[in-house]
Amino acid sequence: MASRTVAKDIITLRGSAAIVSEFFGYAANSILYNRGVYPEESFAKVKKYGLPMLLTQDEENEIVGKEWLEAGKLQRVVMVIMSKATKEVLERWNFSIETDSDVVEKGVSREKSDREIMREIQAIMRQIASSITYLPCLDEPCVFDVLAYTDTDVPVPFTWIESDPKLIANPQMVKLHSFDTKIHKVDTLVSYKNDEWDEQ
Amino acid sequence: MILRTPPPKKQRAEPILHESPSPQVASEGRLVIYEDNPLAAPPPESPHQPSDHLLCTYQCRQMVKADFIDALSNAEKQIRDYQSKLEILNENLSKAEVERKKFRDQFLYAEQELAAAKGREQMLHDQLLKEVNDSQERFKKQLETNNELKGKLQNELNLRKKAESSAASAEEKAADIEGKLTQFSQSIEREKKQLQNELSQLKGESKLSISRISADLERTEFRANSAEKESELLKEQLEDLKKQLNECLNQKSEVEKKMSSFTFQEVTSSESSILIKHLQEELRNYESEVREARKLKSSHEDIELLKAKLLEEKGRRERAESELSKLQEQQICLSNLEKELSLWKLIMKDIPGVSCPEDIPVKFATLQKEVIASTMKIGETNARLKQIEVGLDAAQLAKQNAEAEAALDKEKAEILKSEVKRIELMLSMVTEERNKLSNAINELKRHKNEEAGDEVASGTVVQELESSLAKKESCIKELERSLHEQKEINDRQHNEIKMLHDRLNNEARRIKSLDRETDRLRSEISLLESKLGHGDYSASNTKVLRMVNTLAVDNEAKQTIEALQTELQKTKEKLQALEELKSQSGDTGKLVDSYISEKITKLKEQIATLEKREERYKTVFADRISVFRRACCELFGYKANDYTAQPEISHQVDIFVRKLNSIPAFTANLTVESFNRRTLS
Repeated sequence: MASRTVAKDIITLRGSAAIVSEFFGYAANSILYNRGVYPEESFAKVKKYGLPMLLTQDEENEIVGKEWLEAGKLQRVVMVIMSKATKEVLERWNFSIETDSDVVEKGVSREKSDREIMREIQAIMRQIASSITYLPCLDEPCVFDVLAYTDTDVPVPFTWIESDPKLIANPQMVKLHSFDTKIHKVDTLVSYKNDEWDEQ
Repeated sequence: MILRTPPPKKQRAEPILHESPSPQVASEGRLVIYEDNPLAAPPPESPHQPSDHLLCTYQCRQMVKADFIDALSNAEKQIRDYQSKLEILNENLSKAEVERKKFRDQFLYAEQELAAAKGREQMLHDQLLKEVNDSQERFKKQLETNNELKGKLQNELNLRKKAESSAASAEEKAADIEGKLTQFSQSIEREKKQLQNELSQLKGESKLSISRISADLERTEFRANSAEKESELLKEQLEDLKKQLNECLNQKSEVEKKMSSFTFQEVTSSESSILIKHLQEELRNYESEVREARKLKSSHEDIELLKAKLLEEKGRRERAESELSKLQEQQICLSNLEKELSLWKLIMKDIPGVSCPEDIPVKFATLQKEVIASTMKIGETNARLKQIEVGLDAAQLAKQNAEAEAALDKEKAEILKSEVKRIELMLSMVTEERNKLSNAINELKRHKNEEAGDEVASGTVVQELESSLAKKESCIKELERSLHEQKEINDRQHNEIKMLHDRLNNEARRIKSLDRETDRLRSEISLLESKLGHGDYSASNTKVLRMVNTLAVDNEAKQTIEALQTELQKTKEKLQALEELKSQSGDTGKLVDSYISEKITKLKEQIATLEKREERYKTVFADRISVFRRACCELFGYKANDYTAQPEISHQVDIFVRKLNSIPAFTANLTVESFNRRTLS
């Protein structure tokens, strides 16, 4: 983990960015596993946030770079699940980020218990795992895309290109828990296409 | 009829005397002598019994006279007494009459009061009826107004719903059109950028090709010049050789001449023959050399021409291939653009009032204005609705107030009814008393007629009357007091009820306004959350980036690297050719060396830059391929290095990936095979 003083529970900008970036990686993997986008064999069990988490077989699972988080330029990260055949957007996992501008500008640090942050993240992970009870089944093969909502002055790296927001028309929305490191606050919301059975 | 005052008891001695004077007084001084005669017992009944029965002697007459005189005197005394008593009685009677008058006046007064009370009661009753009617009318009017307001409210609600639905549909349409427009504008911008990039690339490529062609042209010119110079050199060489040949021929002819001259001298020496042979051999050698030089020169020229032609053909072929690929790409782009144009045209046809792309912003502005107008209308209807709701609330409050007032009026009516009953009771009591009084008056009259005035009885009657009057007065006073107190209590209660009603109404209004605010805030919050969850964003502050599929980027890098590598090879071949030419041209190429060296340096610089670019592309490609490999490993869970060397895996790749186009099937097969291998091992 990045710079965090465990004794006094002080959190710096870099530490908070590391926590949030790590969270996105584990959350994305959890979503891919729970929604069945990729087969179970692709995942390995690891212990994280006090829960058995499933990760793909790789050293790094960084979806979003920490630079954007440290600069406070990242507003949202969205994981879009689309039908492979029709490219229709079926689900949108929206992670909204609020950054404390004072910390970014002045470089101050905040105080929050590490255990409490982990507890909050654990709650979100449990909700992601339990979301299969109300989300419609993904019967067809699906692919995923990662979108990042950033400030307009952010330079675009070569691994990213500008895109449309890939919205769902008349979605159903479910708001999940949020977690707050006192520097970055992340709200989670899943919007999904109305299932035909539900409409009937 | 039962007389209250019993008739006085009849005394034996006196009643006759009492009664006798009256008939005496009534009769004309007729003297009736008392005899103890039973027949005289009922004297009153028959006062006019004949005096024929009475007989007396002279003594008896004197005695009777004396007695009579005594009796007369006694009678006179009694008469006087009776007169006095009569006077007293008359006085008493007058007093009783006065009292009777008083009582009568009081009775009349009571009757008047009763009539007044009745009149007041009637008035109150009428007032109550009027008030009840007024309140009922007011209630009816308020009900009517309430019903009208309800109808208006329903109409307004329906209008509002219609307006909201129309506004929502318009907003949806506008949002859809906005979204489509933004998407199209974004796609247009992206394609513009792409086209601009392609254009710049094409320009660069065209410049490169132009430079290449110019370089080729210069090279060919240079080659041509060099070939010309070589040919000139070779011509000079040829001419030299010719000159040499001519000289040799001249020398040969001279030598032959000499030899012919020498034949005369017949001093033939072997040396001259040898010399001749040598000279002949040299000549032959020179001729062969000349021939070889000529052959070489021709072959060289042919080779050069062929090389030039080959290079030209290669260049043309490359250009043609590149232009063909570009043409295909341009055709694909053109078809895509045509499809998009057709889509835009279809969309423009769908949008009413739009005939060309320039109309779209105008239409968009009109739609926005319409949306703004509709939202303003919605706001106005909301304000009107709120006003109507407030009016309805006020009407309901007024209705409640009217109902409360009606209830109060009913209570008042009931109270008044109870009061009326009480007054009626009082009236009955008073009438009874009046009857009593009238009976008493009749009795008094009777007493007056019979000259009997029992002071005690009249006194008792008077006392009874006075006591009953006092009681009535006290009852009336008590009733008045209680009425007054009840009125005060009622007034106080009314005031309290009014205050409480006012407070209740104010609180109800406050609660309703707070409820409306909470509903508005909840709707705003839900709207914002829906927008947030929907993924809306402001293009002025935010841009959306997507993680790129690195495969396409790597392919592009590979293609550029391959193209650069082919160019490098070509330049290297050309350089080798030039060096060969340089080596072949030898001494005569000194003039060209400088030009060639300049070109060579330029080419070397180009090669250096191309090599640097190649290295950069290699590093980028290495980075991207590592990222791509990592992504593949993350996605599929497998790492395969140099898979083409392993026949099994390459076979599986051919079957599952290329033929069946299923990567999950390939990975599943790999897992099953690895599992089988492990279990078997």
